[in-house]
Amino acid sequence: MKSVYIAGAGMTRFGRSEWPLMQLASVASLAALKHANLGGVPVDGVVVANMGAARINRQTALGSALVDQLALYPAAAESVENGPASGASAVKVGFQAIASGMADVVLVTGVERMRVVNGMEGTDFVASLSHPIAEYIYGVTLPSLAGLFARLFMEKHGVERKHLAMVAIKNHANAAKNPYAHIQQTITMEGILTLPEAVVNNPPIAEPLHMFDCCPVSDGAASLVLVSQEVAAKLKGPKVRLAGMGQATDTHTVHERKDPTDLKSVRIAAEQAFRRAGLKPEDVDVAELHDAFTILEIAESEASGFFPRGEGHKALERGDTQLGGRLPINPSGGLKAKGHPVGATGVAQLVELTWQLRGECGERQVKDAKIAYACNFGGFGNNVVASVLQREA
Amino acid sequence: MGNISDLEALLRPPAMEMPDYPPKAITLASGEVMVVRQVAREEVPTLLEAIYPLLLVERDFYDVVGARLFGELLAYKRFRVKDEYVLAGLIDGVLAGMVNGRLVNEKTGMSYHTLTIRRGLRVGSHLFAAKMEYHIEHCQQEEVLIVAESPIGFRRWMIEYPLEKRFEVQHELGGVPSWVLPKDTYYAAKPRLVSGRRPISEELMKSAQTILLPRQETVVRQVAGEKEG
Amino acid sequence: MSMKVTGMKCSSCGTVSYPTHAVCPSCRNETFETVVIEGEGKVLTYTDVYALAVEYETRYLRLAIVELDDGVRVTGHLLADKPKLGMRVKTTIGTVREMAEGAIQGLQFVAV
Ligand SMILES: [Zn+2]
Repeated sequence: MKSVYIAGAGMTRFGRSEWPLMQLASVASLAALKHANLGGVPVDGVVVANMGAARINRQTALGSALVDQLALYPAAAESVENGPASGASAVKVGFQAIASGMADVVLVTGVERMRVVNGMEGTDFVASLSHPIAEYIYGVTLPSLAGLFARLFMEKHGVERKHLAMVAIKNHANAAKNPYAHIQQTITMEGILTLPEAVVNNPPIAEPLHMFDCCPVSDGAASLVLVSQEVAAKLKGPKVRLAGMGQATDTHTVHERKDPTDLKSVRIAAEQAFRRAGLKPEDVDVAELHDAFTILEIAESEASGFFPRGEGHKALERGDTQLGGRLPINPSGGLKAKGHPVGATGVAQLVELTWQLRGECGERQVKDAKIAYACNFGGFGNNVVASVLQREA
Repeated sequence: MGNISDLEALLRPPAMEMPDYPPKAITLASGEVMVVRQVAREEVPTLLEAIYPLLLVERDFYDVVGARLFGELLAYKRFRVKDEYVLAGLIDGVLAGMVNGRLVNEKTGMSYHTLTIRRGLRVGSHLFAAKMEYHIEHCQQEEVLIVAESPIGFRRWMIEYPLEKRFEVQHELGGVPSWVLPKDTYYAAKPRLVSGRRPISEELMKSAQTILLPRQETVVRQVAGEKEG
Repeated sequence: MSMKVTGMKCSSCGTVSYPTHAVCPSCRNETFETVVIEGEGKVLTYTDVYALAVEYETRYLRLAIVELDDGVRVTGHLLADKPKLGMRVKTTIGTVREMAEGAIQGLQFVAV
């Protein structure tokens, strides 16, 4: 297998956008291409990740549409729909194209424009990834699966609402240092949990999860330029290698998992990614985890191998996962505060990590970061893609 | 209000005695303190200035809400609505949102509009709750008539409280079939929807004495959403 | 209201699966008999969810995952005022969603 490098990374600001879908995708792509500074090297392939355009924006075949926008013909083009894991799945498609020798330069862009529908419709659209007969018809939504999961996980490991609040407070604070983040608003423990007003400030969404435990609904796009070693050697700028990727699936319904609190798919995907990279969780300097719900940051930090089972919240309490801590998690603000344009998320995680490894993150820079990890959590854990990135001198 | 001409007296609706809304302080999720207080007629121009940039924003019906609210505030200032009141939420004096409504008669109130400028901190929920509090607790009314113009408002008010249908009554906002919040429902919902502390310190009251406007681009960006990615 | 919720019982290893799969997750056998999913069990986890699709005109739904006494797990509506982890419940059938195509029947759980 040939080595794959990330030569450039770019994104739009996440939030609510007036831009049409393909404009979002184009702006992020052009930013990544500019960042990569390819000179005359042609783009061989384009992969677009997206979950809802067919339903929400009435547009399909986004890969071909983006090639057209960017006038990259006759580059190969694909579209990837893989639920909330679409982003990293698309990166994997690009990775495979280069690793196999079929391509030298692949542009991977994740995009989602979901604020055009109201919140209830948006929630229902994402819920369509749940099992149609055994979950969806009961009104199951992603927050409800997270609520069911959180109740069990918290009971089992002694996690309290204050721990969830700590994740939210940390990620909002990180996002406030990220000009691309959807939410630019710090929050306090008093305001969301301990004062009487917190009952109104932070209403329940899916008990025990409350509003500030859930990511916002965002529009946005993120883009990476993947290149072969031969191309990377010709480019100036720091070299970031996509050192290993892993992917694993689990049962469609949450209830069929023997231990629903065990994120087996995360565990397996992470093990694969680390093994392929020849690295270990202890080597990681910075991580982006899929905190669509605060509880998931804690659970994924354990399942990815950073902390023993049941101890993620203790690491959080110790401050290990803050900026400046032993292993900063979600310096970008995470899905929680950077935002979650579903199809763009998995790409955006790697955009942040590429910038981190290149030392380009300004106020939220993790000092001397050399090795980075991302977990893109699809379905409610039924399809997970993990990635390990390494900065080469 | 000084002397007014006979003709002006004829044009003004008769006014009922309305209690003052006692100001309260709410600590928001951000830790910032929002003072909720009544808005005097002479302060209306400041609110109009905040609404003005929204008049042509179609998203989430801000144009309809903005334009109607603009008219209601003008009419309040110039005595052309019967028994209207306006409440504002102020953070360090800066306008975070506003609500208004009026008394239909002694027993029944009518909610007009809720406009949130500072979004993401439940300012609208707090202010809407303050408005219900004013009708039921301070004006001692039995019920409040309510409609929503946007889906967000519908979900929030109709389902959160929850409101009852009073479809035989046309609400003054466009003659839309009305919903109603009865007193009992209000009190049942109060623990989870109404908050704030009274009395508020002199220092805090002073900070909220003059209504300051957020920067205009902040208003449009926050309320209407980003214009760029 | 004679609707039943059904799963499948593997004709080779006897594993009951709900929902159905084309292949037995335990032994990869491809023949099954249909079995009715019902009975008593305990609440494994539950949530009150307020983030609902538009057709629900209610403040929240109480959802639960229940482990039936035969080991089969199901997701459905918990009709209990004071839910608790581990509480004993039994299945019934009722309307779980009103959709464009009509009322959808499904599993509900009531305290025993
Ligand atoms: Zn079998």
